Amino acid sequence: MAKAFKVKLNGQHELTVDASQGSLLEALEQHQIDVHYHCRNGFCGACRTKLICGKVKYTSEPLAFIRKGDILPCCCIADSDIEIEH
Amino acid sequence: MSYSTFSQEQSDPLKEPMFFGHSVNVARYDQQKHSIFEKLIEKQISFFWRPEEVDVSRDRVDFNKMTDSEKHIFISNLKYQTLLDSVQGRSPNIALLPIVSIPELETWIETWSFYETIHSRSYTHILRNLFSDPSEVFEDIVINEQIKKRAADISRYYDDLIFYTQLWQTQGEGQHEVDGEVHNVTMRELKKKLFLCINSVNALEAIRFYVSFACTFAFAERELMEGNSKIIRLIARDENLHLVSTQHILNLWQYGEDDPEMKEIAEELRDDAYNIFMTAVEQEKEWAHYLFRDGSMIGLNEDMLCQYVEYIANLRMEAIGFDAPFENRRSNPLPWMNKYLVSDNVQVAPQEAEISSYLVGQIDSEVSAADLGDFDL
Repeated sequence: MAKAFKVKLNGQHELTVDASQGSLLEALEQHQIDVHYHCRNGFCGACRTKLICGKVKYTSEPLAFIRKGDILPCCCIADSDIEIEH
Repeated sequence: MSYSTFSQEQSDPLKEPMFFGHSVNVARYDQQKHSIFEKLIEKQISFFWRPEEVDVSRDRVDFNKMTDSEKHIFISNLKYQTLLDSVQGRSPNIALLPIVSIPELETWIETWSFYETIHSRSYTHILRNLFSDPSEVFEDIVINEQIKKRAADISRYYDDLIFYTQLWQTQGEGQHEVDGEVHNVTMRELKKKLFLCINSVNALEAIRFYVSFACTFAFAERELMEGNSKIIRLIARDENLHLVSTQHILNLWQYGEDDPEMKEIAEELRDDAYNIFMTAVEQEKEWAHYLFRDGSMIGLNEDMLCQYVEYIANLRMEAIGFDAPFENRRSNPLPWMNKYLVSDNVQVAPQEAEISSYLVGQIDSEVSAADLGDFDL
């Protein structure tokens, strides 16, 4: 079932992502956004992104330390409309 | 405070700080103060691999076809990585095990060091294939000025912590004179040395490997030295996990989620921590300069490598609460690197081409009636 949410990126782009179709990182890539990543598995932390508002949900438990206000898009999906800085 | 391999004093490991509490006695993992270390152990064990499983025999042909400047790049990087893993294969054990005070972290440190020894063994595997006698390469590691310079900086913080721990464990706190030099051993001083040591290890795991990783993967992009590149991908995946552990330790201290005194020290020594990192960045750039002194290689030059070091440094420093020092280096100058760093692209066994963690016994023992719905009798 499609779960569409709005993602505001770096204060400029407005994207619509389907949270039922893969991770937030994959969703950004589908919109041709230049993303940072290494492991794509939640343990390296290279995709660390600032969550300005909204909620995300982790689909697998990340091993990297998540500092306050950060999210790891490689292993989470949007759970509301969100605003992020990547 | 002499060390006991099995302290009979009762203590509650859930209330101990990560370091400098009561030494660990019972190795139990049913309860954890910082469960992340137990999870890292599990992940690391699931990554088990052996260098001998990777066929490097074709690399010799590729190597013999390389230009002299490319050979210099390839061999120098292997020397540097051999140095790094020689240090990392022993130092966390020697420096940290005598002072660790929770069982899950103690076992993580042992697991971590063990994997570094797998890396060391894989360099021998690679070199033995390239040279009938690799002695000259190994012997140069302790002679080569460029490598010695880095070795001194990497081992300094470990050695300092080890020495002070030895003084403390044999003579206790106080002023101790050794070879005419007076050392003021206090718990505060020990903790400061520990803090600097973890920062130095964090910088090592975070960026020191990446210049040589980049060169290896640049060769692989040209379909050269592919056996070597497979091994380095496995090493890169492990190093990423090791980095996560040092980032966790630093962040737990910083956020006051462990020893409150370490939180104070993290604030007090913030500039020193920053400088340790930036020194490593500078040394890596110098290393890139040294690698390309005889000429560059197709697809990579000194400039691009230095940009990549800055890009990686930004990511790594933000992970431990610093502002990115290279604001104008926000996009990845070597985008092809990523495909070698994705953990699921690592080939572990031929039959497991797409899956990185080869977990044995992943059998679901729960069977519901619906699972049998398709059966007709």
